[in-house]
Amino acid sequence: MLKPMSVVRQAIVADAGDEMDGAMAEGAAAGPAKDRVKAGRKVLPIVEGVVLVAALLAPLVLQDYLTVFATRVIILALFALSFDLVWGYAGIMSFGQALFFGSAGYGVALLARDLDITNILLVLPAGTLIGLTFALLLGGFLLLGRHPSSVIFVSLGTLTGSYAADRLARGWYYLGGQNGIPSIAPMTLGGYEFTEGPAFYYLVLGILVVVYLLCRFLVRSQFGLALAGLRENEQRIAFFGYKAQHLKAIIFTVGGGVAGLAGSLYAFHEGFVWPNMVGVVVSTQVVLYVLFGGSGTLIGAVIGAVIVEGVSFWLSDNYRDIWPIILGLLLLLVILFRPLGLISFVLGERERVGSFGAGQKETRDAP
Amino acid sequence: MANAFVAAFEILSFGAIIVLIVLGLGIIASMMGIFNFAQGEFVLLGAYVTYLAYAKGLPIWAGMVAAPFLVGGLGFVLEALIIRRFYAAPIVAMLGTYALGLIIRESVRGLIGGFYLTVPEPIGGSIDIGAMHISAWRFTIIVITLLVMGGCYLLLSRTSFGLRVRATLENPSLARASGISTPLIYGATFAFGAALAGLAGALIVPVFSLFADLGLRFLIQGFVAVMVGGVGSFIGPVAGAGVIGTLSAALPWVMAPVVADVLVFVLAIVFIKFRPQGLIAGKGV
Repeated sequence: MLKPMSVVRQAIVADAGDEMDGAMAEGAAAGPAKDRVKAGRKVLPIVEGVVLVAALLAPLVLQDYLTVFATRVIILALFALSFDLVWGYAGIMSFGQALFFGSAGYGVALLARDLDITNILLVLPAGTLIGLTFALLLGGFLLLGRHPSSVIFVSLGTLTGSYAADRLARGWYYLGGQNGIPSIAPMTLGGYEFTEGPAFYYLVLGILVVVYLLCRFLVRSQFGLALAGLRENEQRIAFFGYKAQHLKAIIFTVGGGVAGLAGSLYAFHEGFVWPNMVGVVVSTQVVLYVLFGGSGTLIGAVIGAVIVEGVSFWLSDNYRDIWPIILGLLLLLVILFRPLGLISFVLGERERVGSFGAGQKETRDAP
Repeated sequence: MANAFVAAFEILSFGAIIVLIVLGLGIIASMMGIFNFAQGEFVLLGAYVTYLAYAKGLPIWAGMVAAPFLVGGLGFVLEALIIRRFYAAPIVAMLGTYALGLIIRESVRGLIGGFYLTVPEPIGGSIDIGAMHISAWRFTIIVITLLVMGGCYLLLSRTSFGLRVRATLENPSLARASGISTPLIYGATFAFGAALAGLAGALIVPVFSLFADLGLRFLIQGFVAVMVGGVGSFIGPVAGAGVIGTLSAALPWVMAPVVADVLVFVLAIVFIKFRPQGLIAGKGV
C-alpha cells in the first residue's frame, strides 16, 4: 500500500522540483500504481499519486499570483485534513475547527508582533502546540466525563466555542479588535525570509505531505481501526474494552494540533489574522471541503479543499454573488445523493472501509 | 428608579425577542429531533417579506401578517422535498439544513445587496409612564410574544392536533398504528416552526433593520437556549430562551459587553455539560 507513495517520495527527493524530472516522477508513480490496480484493484494510491504529482508541478505551470493562491489552498487542505481526522475517522462533529486554526494564527501573530519571534523552527511548533492545547481543553471538557456526551452536544459545543472566540477576538483590543493583526513579519529560517511564492509553496507542500503520511500511518494503525469502529458503532467499540471517550479526546487533540499548524502557516502566508479566522464562517468552510471531497478518506479532504477553493476562485471574477448559492446547492446535492463525497465516484465503499486491515499488513512489508 | 425601570424593560423586551425566535426552533428540535440550521434564514425571510410589503407601499402590518403564512408554506414544501430524508441522522440534518440556510441567505443577500434596510415601526412613538418613556413597538413585541407563547401552549396541549403531534413525538410507530399520518404531522410541525420564525422575523425587523446576516445572529443563541432549556418539551426551550435572553441582555449592564457575550455562552455550555437534560427534563408539552 505504501509502496507507490514511497516511490514518489523518493522521486521528489531526487528531483527537487525540476520540470523534466517532475515528468519522470509521474512515470515512476504511474508504473507500480498500475500494477497495483491489476493485483488488488486499489484506486486510492493512484488518486494520491496523481494529486501529489499535480501539486508538485503546479508552480511550474502557474503564474506567480496563482502560485500564491495555490499555497493558500494547500494550507487549507492541511486544515481540511485536521477536520477529516476528527469527523471522517472518529465521527466527532466539530463545528468549531476554526477555533484551533485561528487561535494558533493569532498566537504566532502575537509572537511575531510582540516578541519578534519569526523563526520557522519556533513558530510552527508553537502554533501546533497552541492548537493542541486548545483542542485538549475544549475536547477534554466536551468529550470526557461521567456520561458520554451526545453528538448534538459536541457539535453545538464546538460551534459555540468558535462563535464565542470570534466575539472575543472582535472585542479585545490587544488582539486588534475588528481589524485583527495586520502586517505580520515573514517567517525566517536563519537569514532566509519566506515570502509568498514558489519557496513558500514547496515548504507548505512538504509539510502537507509529511502530515498526510503521518495521518495515513495513524489511521491505518490499530488506533485508526478503533477510531473507524467508533464512527460506525460506538457502543460496540466500548464493549470491546476500548475507552471510547479517551480515543475521541486523543484524536480531537491531534486534529486540533494539525489545525494549529495550518493556522500558523496561514497567518504567515497571508501576513495578517482577523476575527473571522476563529469564527463560524471558517469552521463551516472546512466542513464543506471535507463533505465535498469525501469524508473518511484523507485524500478526499485534500481534493475537496482544492475543488471548492479552485472553483470559487475561478467563478469569483464574474459570478461572485451567486457562487455561495451554487455552493449551497451543490452541498445539498452531495449530502442527499453522494454522502461520501466526490471521491466516491472513483473509490468503492469497500476500499474506503476495508482498507484498514489489509493496509496494515502491507505497511509492514513496505521498505 | 427610572433608570432601573428602563433597564428592566430593555432586558424584558430582548428576552421576549429571543423567546419568539426560539419558539419555532424549539418546537422543531423537540418534536422532530432536528436542529434546524436554516431557522435563522426563516427569520430572515419573514423580515424580508415585511420589507417587501413596505417597499411596495402596502401597510407594514399586512406584511407582518403575510410573513408567517408564506414562510410556513415554504417550510412545508422544504420538509416534503428535503428535510424528510434527514430524520434518521441528526448530524446529516444539521449539514443539510445548513446548506439550505446558505442558499436562502445568499439569495436574499443577492436581492437586497449588502445594505442595512430599515423598516419603520407600525406602531411608533413611546408609551409614557410618568417621566419614563418606553418604546411602544417593543412593548407590542412583548405582548405578542406572550400571546403567541400562550397560543402555542394551548395548541399543543389542548387541541387534537397537539395530541397527534405529541403522540408522533413519543412513539411514532404506535402513532402510525393508531391511524395518525406521521409524515403529515411532521410536515405540519415543521411548517408551524417555520411560520413562527417568519413571524419573529417580521416583528423584529423594525428593531434590528434588514440585513442578510440577521438570522445568523440569533441562530447560535437559539441553539444554546434550546439545549439549556431541554430538548423534548415545549416549555423547556421557552424557559431556556428566557434565561439566555435575560442573561445576554442583563450582563452587559454590569460588565464589559464583550466579556458578557462570551460569558453567557461559557456558562450555558458548562450548564449543559453537567445537566444534559436541561432545565426542564422530560417529553410532552
